[in-house]
Amino acid sequence: MNKEEVESRIRSAFAKTIDDNGTKIEDALTDETVLLETALDSLGFAILVARLEEDLGWDPFSISDTPFYPETFGQFVAFYADNQP
Amino acid sequence: MIISEHGYWGLTDLRVLVNADVLIRARDYRSVALRLTDPAKLALALLALDGFVERLLLLSADLADDLAASLSAQFGADAILTDLDGGLTPAVPNRLVWTGPTSAGPDQSPSPKTATEWTLTTSGTTGVPKLVTHTLASLSRTTKGAATAKYRWGQLYSMERFAGLQVFLQALLGGSLVLPGTEWPLPRRLSYLADHECTALSATPTLWRKILMTPASASLAPMQITLGGEIVDDAILGALAARFPASRIVHIYASTEAGVGFSVKDGREGFPVEYLADAPGGVQLKIVDGHLFIRNPAARTIAELDSASSDASFIDTGDAVAVIGERCYFLGRASGVINVGGNKLFPEEVEQVLLAHPAVKQARVWGIKSPITGQLVSAEIVPASQDYAIEELHKILHRYCTDRLEPWKMPAIIRVVDDLEVNAAGKVKRSPQ
Repeated sequence: MNKEEVESRIRSAFAKTIDDNGTKIEDALTDETVLLETALDSLGFAILVARLEEDLGWDPFSISDTPFYPETFGQFVAFYADNQP
Repeated sequence: MIISEHGYWGLTDLRVLVNADVLIRARDYRSVALRLTDPAKLALALLALDGFVERLLLLSADLADDLAASLSAQFGADAILTDLDGGLTPAVPNRLVWTGPTSAGPDQSPSPKTATEWTLTTSGTTGVPKLVTHTLASLSRTTKGAATAKYRWGQLYSMERFAGLQVFLQALLGGSLVLPGTEWPLPRRLSYLADHECTALSATPTLWRKILMTPASASLAPMQITLGGEIVDDAILGALAARFPASRIVHIYASTEAGVGFSVKDGREGFPVEYLADAPGGVQLKIVDGHLFIRNPAARTIAELDSASSDASFIDTGDAVAVIGERCYFLGRASGVINVGGNKLFPEEVEQVLLAHPAVKQARVWGIKSPITGQLVSAEIVPASQDYAIEELHKILHRYCTDRLEPWKMPAIIRVVDDLEVNAAGKVKRSPQ
């Protein structure tokens, strides 16, 4: 899957998870947005990762040889794009 | 030394601060409940009262007023020391209010009168906190003096909790302690710890992942990293080693059932199988039917010493384990209890909520692995009718659960299926494997 497609699927899962939380997405997500400064807390973020595994079919956290915890939205998208089965 | 918003307190400062008037008055009571939101005041109160009152209850500052009142009553507190303006008076006869700044008292060191019992609250799986009693000796069993004297510990736990007290006691044994405000957001706490050159940090794997995802963590330079409270995985150990190459990384396994534990220092998840023959920390381990059993020889009773069977004092930890090659791995709780970032729940509770909704005929709930919170709740349901589209059913059930369950108990994923396998007793089989 190319990076644009990965990013668009992540954006839609992100919006849905925030919507489920009953919180409104405040600002547009940019590459520099710090993940934990969005409306998602670490539990919300964990739920997002679980749903992306359902939707995309892979979990980069278990695929990647180098353990990594992304800080920003840009790093998060790149982590998914770079660690596909 | 204790470093907090109040400033730097060295030993000479502490010697007079523990004799503040309100603390001297608190020593007159037998059973004292502490409900202090300021961690520095809590530290002073613990130093001032240990050895002088018979029993101490450490109430979490974030407990609701009615819960704090009922726990104080259950404990039998005859006084409460608090920096809050809130109620509690009916439940506890005497109230010592400690608002405003800390103050120095006379420079004197009276001799301790008693071995104080420390009672902590634990959040069980039912959501109702339980009281658990320790002595200073049992609390400080895992803390080591000389080896850690050089460290400046940063407090990331609530100090009234077991793990937070471990950090407090560890720091007191010769090191020093940095106390960020408990209400501060994580980036501010991390910057505070970095600014005050903290060199040792202890947190759960979930919190460590959160720390690594927080840009302010770049300024931290810990020499000692401790993980505990949840299953530790290779990913977090590897990420910490990569980010903090100079640090010594230790993960702690502790069994609340047995009241003992051991630490693993080789930087890998699980523990070496050799521990089954020769475990560190003075404990003995064995595996029976996939459960880890632990024994603390120091706690054997006379009867057990006389008994021919050495198995008598092995306690089932309730943790499911598997040996793969040279390593023993933790699989989770044998009871099926799910641990979401340190918060525990029974899957049955979530199943009951789902089943209470008229659109649900059958439900099965279990824990799935999460690279962020260790585990998450997953559910499969069989709809009672075909009235709803799947997307709509998701929305309805999500809203329904939100109103009835704490955030960590919410199913992260709800799969709608045609059928769930039932066992011979007609019950839905829990394990999806």
